[in-house]
Order: sequence, then structure tokens, then C-alpha cells
Amino acid sequence: MAINYEPKIIGFICNWCSYADADMAGTSPVSYPPNIRIIRVPCSGWVDPLLIAKCFWQGADGVLISGCHPGDCRYNEGNYHARRRFALLHRLLDYLGIAKERLRLEWVSASEGQKFTQIVSDFTRELAELGPRSEG
Amino acid sequence: MDLELIQQIRGLCRDLLKNGEVNCVIGYERASDGLTARPLFVYEPGEVERLIFDDTCTHNLVKYLSDKKGEKIAIVAKPCDSRAINLLLNEGQIKRDTVFIIGVYCPGVVETGWNRKGEALQERCQTCQLLKPVVYDFLAGQAPVRSTEGERYSDILEVESKPEDERRAFWLDHFEPCIRCYACRQICPGCYCPECFVERLDPMWVGIRIAPIENELWQAIRAFHLAGRCISCNECERACPMDIPLSLLNRKLEKEVKELFDFQAGLSPEEQPPFATFNKEEKLGFEE
Repeated sequence: MAINYEPKIIGFICNWCSYADADMAGTSPVSYPPNIRIIRVPCSGWVDPLLIAKCFWQGADGVLISGCHPGDCRYNEGNYHARRRFALLHRLLDYLGIAKERLRLEWVSASEGQKFTQIVSDFTRELAELGPRSEG
Repeated sequence: MDLELIQQIRGLCRDLLKNGEVNCVIGYERASDGLTARPLFVYEPGEVERLIFDDTCTHNLVKYLSDKKGEKIAIVAKPCDSRAINLLLNEGQIKRDTVFIIGVYCPGVVETGWNRKGEALQERCQTCQLLKPVVYDFLAGQAPVRSTEGERYSDILEVESKPEDERRAFWLDHFEPCIRCYACRQICPGCYCPECFVERLDPMWVGIRIAPIENELWQAIRAFHLAGRCISCNECERACPMDIPLSLLNRKLEKEVKELFDFQAGLSPEEQPPFATFNKEEKLGFEE
């Protein structure tokens, strides 16, 4: 493993909850690792599994999808659909040799700023421990 | 060859065409090698004598229904094919009253190739539990007696047990020969999108360079789009010119969908497929 290895994380972050947390971290200010590249999306249910796969196949080390708690979706049911999709995608990626740990789906509400920064820090640390993905 | 069964099919099709109940019958005829079967479209009552059915009729004819929407069609369907009909009904692709389904009890089909007919049943048939079509207007033949024992997922468990790096290498190895001819998609009854994601140029989801990872992205997402929808007719694998073991992917997802959502595709035209519905209480491994 390279000594200065920094994992690249793509974050698909729900506009209505976790994105506000990321924002809040900025104004607080609390810092979290810059390894995450945040893509703001309207809902975790918006995220197509194809996007996740594309991230991994383009060389991302980890993908974080962060949405509102089940029951709190702005669009009522987006995160329920996301949960089903990613439960299955998890298993498919694992089968293809992309470790389960590299894809995370987290529920964070708009008032849990600490939780969001914690998740990003933990995820970054875990990925750094896992090391770079085997080529391909 | 079960002559009684064939006479039943021919007689019925003759009547259907004569009475104008259907415009066309989709069935099987003897291929020109005199040994295997090929799809046949019958439009005239006089042509029905060409219809056959035996253990070389491996094709899933349901694919043709998507091409003939709006016409009155009769179709010969094995049990696995009948699940594909349920899938299309469920997804609103065809209307039940435009299709006359001639269900046949399935004796299982054998491996075939040009001028070549295998002895043993195809692997998928050896563990198939479905002997009778799940949807039909007319049921031909007699219930076969055959063993449906056998571990359906043994090869998948074997892949799962490999360490992660090896699994990665295993798949890249298998996807390397893929020439992305998309025969697997063209033959799949579940792939009917007018525009497939793989042909989108903006955004270009799957790159056009020749690389195993691009092939893998295509294959992984193709399989994922069929998760909870694949009815295991295995036509993709049969059509693949590079002999890529696609059923290893399809059956893996079938297994997981069964485990996670207790669902099997195509068994009923009403039951909601797993990604069209949800259960508020389920956790699926994601803690709140």
C-alpha cells in the first residue's frame, strides 16, 4: 500500500438532510476529511445503482449514500426504495469482488451534524485501512 | 417425440387460425439439420403440420410477443417461458386477451447446437421445480415424471467462497472475452427498453474502449436490471457467442432476491416485483 494513500469517496448526499449537515459542518465549523466528493441529490431514492457501479468502475474507493431516516423522506417513500435497491446491489458488488465495506448507505437527519462528520471520518479511516482496490 | 402432444398442438392451432381467433401462432419447427428445433411463425391453417414439440425446443419464444404487440397471437410456452409471459403481463407490456397461451408440460430440454443434440438435460432443467406452466389457456401433454432434486446454487456458493481478490480476477477473466454484441439482451424477454442504457451516448454509461471492466459494467448492470425479473430461461447464456457463464450472475441475484424479499419472478401476474414495492418495517441490514 502506498504510504500516502488517500481513499477517494463519492458521496451521494440527500439535499433535505445530510446536505444540510455538511453545510452545517462548514458554518460551525467542524471539519471532516476532504476525501469525500459530495454530489447533492434530491433524494437517496434518486440514486441509480448504475451511478454507484460507474463510480467503482471509474476508480472510486468507496461510495457513500446518505439519506433521511426511513419514514422521514421528503417524498414519502424514496428512501424505502433506496434501501431495497442498495441491499441487493451490496450483495452483487460483493459477489463481483468489491468489498461490502466500500458501499455505505446511512440515515442521517438534518439535525445530526455530528453524525454526518463522524460517518465521513469513520468511512475514510476504514477505507484507508482496507487499502487501494485491486486493479480493474 | 411425443406425437400425441404434437397432434394436440397442431389441431388446436389449426382451429385458432381457421376461426380467426389469432393471426399468428408462434411455435417450433424442425430445423434444417433435421435434429434440433427452431422458432416458427404460422399464419395459414395449412401450415400447422410444421409445428413440433420435443426436448430440443429450448428457445424462449416469449421474446417475440414484445415485437408483435397489438396482434392476436397464440404462443407455445414451456413452464419457464410462461413465467416470462407473467413478467410481461405484470409490467403492462402485453395484454392478456391478445395472447392465447398453449402451455406444455415440460419434459426438460437438452443442450443443442447445429446438428448436435445432447443426451442429458440442461443444467437449469435438472434443478427446475416447475413442470407445469404457471399461466395458460390450453394445457398440452401429460405431466412428466422427472427428478427435480439437486442443488441449484452449488456453483454460486463456490464462487462466493473464493477470497475477494480471486473473485475479482475470476470475473474479469470471464468478462474479458465479451465482445459486447448484446445478443444476451436481444434474446432476453425481460429486455424490452426502446433505448438501452448501454447505448446512451450522453451520458455515456459504458465506454466504447475494449476493456474487461467496461464489459463487466455492462454485464453487472444488465444483470441488476433483471434482478427479481429474470425467469431463468438461460437464453442469454445460450445466445452468448463467447460462452460467458451469465447464469452465474443471474442466479446469484435470483438467490439473493429470494432471500431478501422472498420473491420469485413470473410466478403470478399480480404479485408486485420487489423493486416496485417496499416494506416500511424491513431493515435489510441498514440500521437506523
